[in-house]
Amino acid sequence: MIAPCGLALVVLLAGSGIAPASPIYVASQGAGTMVALDSGSAPPGAPLPVARTPAQIAAGPEGRLYLTHPDTRQITVVDGRAGSVLRTLSVPGQPFGLAVSRDGSSLFVGDWSGNRVIRVSAETGTVAGEVAVGKDPAALVLDRSGRLYVADRESRQVSVIDTTRMARIATVPVGEAPFALALDPAEERLYVANVRDGTVSVVATADTRTIATLKVGGMPYGVAVSEDGGRLLVSNQQGGTLVVLDARAGTVQAVVPVGRYPEGVATAGKRAYVANWFSDSVSVIDLDTLRETARITVPEGPRSLVIPQEGAR
Amino acid sequence: MRLATSTAFLLLLATTALAHGPTPQKIDQSITIAAKPDAVWAVLGTFAKIDAWHPQVAKSEGTGGNGADARRKVTLKNGGTLDEGLDELNATTHSYSYRLSDPDLKALPVSSYTATITVSPDGAGSKVEWLGRFYRGDTGNEPPEELSDEAGKVAMNRYFADGLKGLKAKVEGAGQAAP
Repeated sequence: MIAPCGLALVVLLAGSGIAPASPIYVASQGAGTMVALDSGSAPPGAPLPVARTPAQIAAGPEGRLYLTHPDTRQITVVDGRAGSVLRTLSVPGQPFGLAVSRDGSSLFVGDWSGNRVIRVSAETGTVAGEVAVGKDPAALVLDRSGRLYVADRESRQVSVIDTTRMARIATVPVGEAPFALALDPAEERLYVANVRDGTVSVVATADTRTIATLKVGGMPYGVAVSEDGGRLLVSNQQGGTLVVLDARAGTVQAVVPVGRYPEGVATAGKRAYVANWFSDSVSVIDLDTLRETARITVPEGPRSLVIPQEGAR
Repeated sequence: MRLATSTAFLLLLATTALAHGPTPQKIDQSITIAAKPDAVWAVLGTFAKIDAWHPQVAKSEGTGGNGADARRKVTLKNGGTLDEGLDELNATTHSYSYRLSDPDLKALPVSSYTATITVSPDGAGSKVEWLGRFYRGDTGNEPPEELSDEAGKVAMNRYFADGLKGLKAKVEGAGQAAP
């Protein structure tokens, strides 16, 4: 009974133009800070200093956020609700992409130059397992069953990991220099942004196979799927645009100009958010009109942003 | 000793050739030129012809014109070579974007970059902005000084600044580009 009520409330809020309280967390690599944005166009609150050069950010349960620091071999653990740093973990290698286990106890961390994924305790950073993947693991995405997908950037493949055994169960050939990943809500399709050949690979998760390659152009550096699964949102870093595609047909619906060197993309409800690395801003895109409705200044060098899932915040 | 050094250098090249590190750096340079954007673009707007205006460039050879798959091989006066691909060229907005294909640490101590150069009106003249994103020459966690972020910034900023000065000199008719 509780769940349908919550859903109704969200729909009501969206319909009346009142934004639900879903913060967008942005990691700024140059500034070494994290900021929280509301879902509208208000400027962020005070930046939270973290360790140097945070690259990627991921959300866990209970409002927790995790940021990787490849240059300092650290992971910052943030309490998003309190807006404070809880602890800074030391981890081996060059931590870049990361994913959080459903219960929040483990982090899966890509070791960029070590060509492996390690599993560490979210409490202590202690290594609990590792598995070899391809060269230069970039994005990591975990599905609800505990299967982990890893974009092996310089191996032109996605590694598929069974995290219960920390064993690689498949490798899927994709485009050139896969960097970002997104699962559709049903977790039937994995979308892979290939930086160097300007495409998005569509992987069927049931048989771990690439079933389509969509032409985007430029340098796709970020990808997100709309909540209804119908649209793909792809940042084209070279073009300074967000490319909106019909997820089923694979056709381009709109090319929306954003800031310079856009990278991370996240979406919730009727809006998409794009981290403009060069411009030090976040673009807000209205998914009904397919236009940029706001550009919010954030600390220097935003590359990654995340919107915690419903129930996690 | 000599063999050991060159082997070490080759190993370095081998490990950095494909690497694309986790911490990108910005370059952002601009210059004003006393000429209309059309006149600036007449010099700038052919992708392969960077040797017409960039003082660090000894020669440049291109294929594909200004098309989507155009390439240029730029030989610098320091002996290094930049193998670059065109992403997009817009003759109406006077802008083009391109990327490095394979690094040559002898040319510039960086492992990869992308860049955009744009001419826009500025009063009676033009403003040319050249901006880019690059990764240091050694993207591991302990880069030697000559392949660090700082070394990359110094070299890329000098390359962009010299290029813009050369373009200005060429367009404004000052004859040879400034050294």
